[in-house]
Amino acid sequence: MRAEDLITRDPTVEAVLESLARLPTPEPEKVEALRRRLAATQAPAINAAWPPFLEGARLKRDARYADPPSSHRPLVGPALVMAKRAFRLAFQPFINEALRRQVEFNEAILDALALIHEHQRVQARTQSLWRQEVERQLEQLLSRLPPTPQEPPKEPPRRAPSRRRGR
Amino acid sequence: MPNVSLWNSKRGTASSSAGAVHQLVPRLAWGDAVGNQVRYLRDLLRGWGYASEIYAEQWDEACRDEVRPALDYARDAGRDTALLVHHSFESRLVPLVAKAKGRKALLYHNVTPERFFEGTDRHVARGCMLAREELLQLREHVTHAWAYSHFSVEELSAAGYPDASVLPFAVDWNAFNVAPDAALREQMADGCANVLFVGRTVPSKRLEDVLRVFTAYQRLYQPRSRLLVAGTLYSSAPYDASVLALREQLGPDRVVFLGRVDAAQLSACFASATAYLSMSRHEGFGVPLLEAMYRGVPVVAYGAAAVPETMGGAGLTTLSDDPAQVAGLLAVLERDPALRSRVVEAQRQRLASLDQQAVAQRVREALTPFLQGAAPHARPPAGPAATVVCPGFDAAPDAPMSRLARAVVDRLPDASLWTVRRQVLPLQLAPRDEHEGVTRVRRFTPDEPSFGLEGVSPPSSSLETGVRCASGPLLFAGAGEEVARRTVSRLPPEACVAGVWEARRAPDAGVKQVLGKKLWELTPGRDLVSLAAELARELDVGGHPHAR
Repeated sequence: MRAEDLITRDPTVEAVLESLARLPTPEPEKVEALRRRLAATQAPAINAAWPPFLEGARLKRDARYADPPSSHRPLVGPALVMAKRAFRLAFQPFINEALRRQVEFNEAILDALALIHEHQRVQARTQSLWRQEVERQLEQLLSRLPPTPQEPPKEPPRRAPSRRRGR
Repeated sequence: MPNVSLWNSKRGTASSSAGAVHQLVPRLAWGDAVGNQVRYLRDLLRGWGYASEIYAEQWDEACRDEVRPALDYARDAGRDTALLVHHSFESRLVPLVAKAKGRKALLYHNVTPERFFEGTDRHVARGCMLAREELLQLREHVTHAWAYSHFSVEELSAAGYPDASVLPFAVDWNAFNVAPDAALREQMADGCANVLFVGRTVPSKRLEDVLRVFTAYQRLYQPRSRLLVAGTLYSSAPYDASVLALREQLGPDRVVFLGRVDAAQLSACFASATAYLSMSRHEGFGVPLLEAMYRGVPVVAYGAAAVPETMGGAGLTTLSDDPAQVAGLLAVLERDPALRSRVVEAQRQRLASLDQQAVAQRVREALTPFLQGAAPHARPPAGPAATVVCPGFDAAPDAPMSRLARAVVDRLPDASLWTVRRQVLPLQLAPRDEHEGVTRVRRFTPDEPSFGLEGVSPPSSSLETGVRCASGPLLFAGAGEEVARRTVSRLPPEACVAGVWEARRAPDAGVKQVLGKKLWELTPGRDLVSLAAELARELDVGGHPHAR
């Protein structure tokens, strides 16, 4: 640790650094294993965006406002559109109140789905790291084993006399 | 930066001494730092002869008898009533404060920056963002403002509260004198070195770093060690789940998540602890650090936000977040008894300045002008001078961007250069103008002490708040920096804003969209003098560049 990375009045920075210097030096294998483990578990940058599979649902979570009114009828269409607009304008406060709980539910369920997605992602990463660690330790163990002597090629086992009795 | 104008009708009228002094808090919780402080102030005010009640929008069931609904305040308040508004999170109480009669003052506990919650809790992130909006809205309704650390005062000052000052934080030391839970203590007394962390499981506390440091400590120095984490942990919350997963990934032995503990269990934790470890990235004032000091547990803490100020030179504050290095500090505290006893003794001396009687006297002195109805000092409103925001200036004054920023400031009358302070001080000071030659420089304290690779500046809440309140033209000398990304879309539409960027740190789409054509690239070898003149012309309100 550098002196400028420590703030302490009593004991002085120098006294702490001296005490640090007196610590037994950790074994290089342990330091390397720790470094590898810490590097492997560094969290990826936080992604503030919604998971892509929830993006569509997220855009439609607010059920209070429908798509702009339209009509396919050639003559009465404009009148219908105008009537729909007028209806929404007049009744929007009631629509909002009627659908308020639905919007809250939609948001809550989206959050829950995002949480499950995050759990799955973290679990997958944890399992992957464990598998890598187990494989690495297995390789180390195998490399420490004494080489097995070459065994002479075995003769194919002779066929035992049949116990079946001829009929 | 807008200046709070004179004592006016919106903030209540200047009058004689207050008859009653009430407090308003969004939520009164049992056992948290804000709740304890509110109750302490109420008792203090009653002791001084004032009628005093606590008004809250929400409260814990345990506090039901000592709280009144916030909506009742408008009915209860009179012209001689004084109100202390506690602010630490989104409250939606600004309209109530605005309408209430009597004089009002702000007590700022600091707000956790929203960036810590992005990607883990959108609701809390939004709440933090709105809380900072409310901090700006409250300016015109209060006459006085205090915070519990210089770090927070710095932000108040940047937000346009010119007379903001520190209110001493009162800790009820008697509350810590609880007999330890015998069963838990016996469980922990098995010869293991116990490292303790106390706090809520929120991203700003960086529990993952606590786990990393402890893993390093256990693997390199003390295999017979245990980590005790006292604080609520929900496996259903995204951040908490990631912490539990990290424990699995790192694989240390004996990590104990105790969850919410009662006073006796907490006493047992401190009584068994070899050291207290905090890697928190944001503290308005760290009460658990002081509690550890009071209980004679040596503290190792990462020096972010108000932590160095809370530690006051005691304990071991580190500016490194390298797990192996911090683990080394835990190891020396365990293996060097002489050093450990000196740390504990220095911690005791630190607490001497926080003696309850002395703190009560200082609180009274601080509140007296407000309680007696003294008007704050009148200050002339700040002119619309240009501001050049160059976060990396203090860390690398000779870098091309820093030289460009300085050249622009030197060409504009009354312009100032805002930067992030390179050096972490044990005691932060409110930002004030300093002069480097003819250049007016204002240094803001970073939220975290570490500067990244290539001199990338750490974020600074005070700087971000100051930028949002800047009254004159703004130039982001480093449009790719965090401060530009966070503030550019929240500036008033009429603000004159420009930016300049380097290829190594390009601005994101949001900054490009807002700045549009007012964005210049600083390419290697470009003539800084001509570019500075061009930028100064863009910023100069009168259109007349001024050579000093």
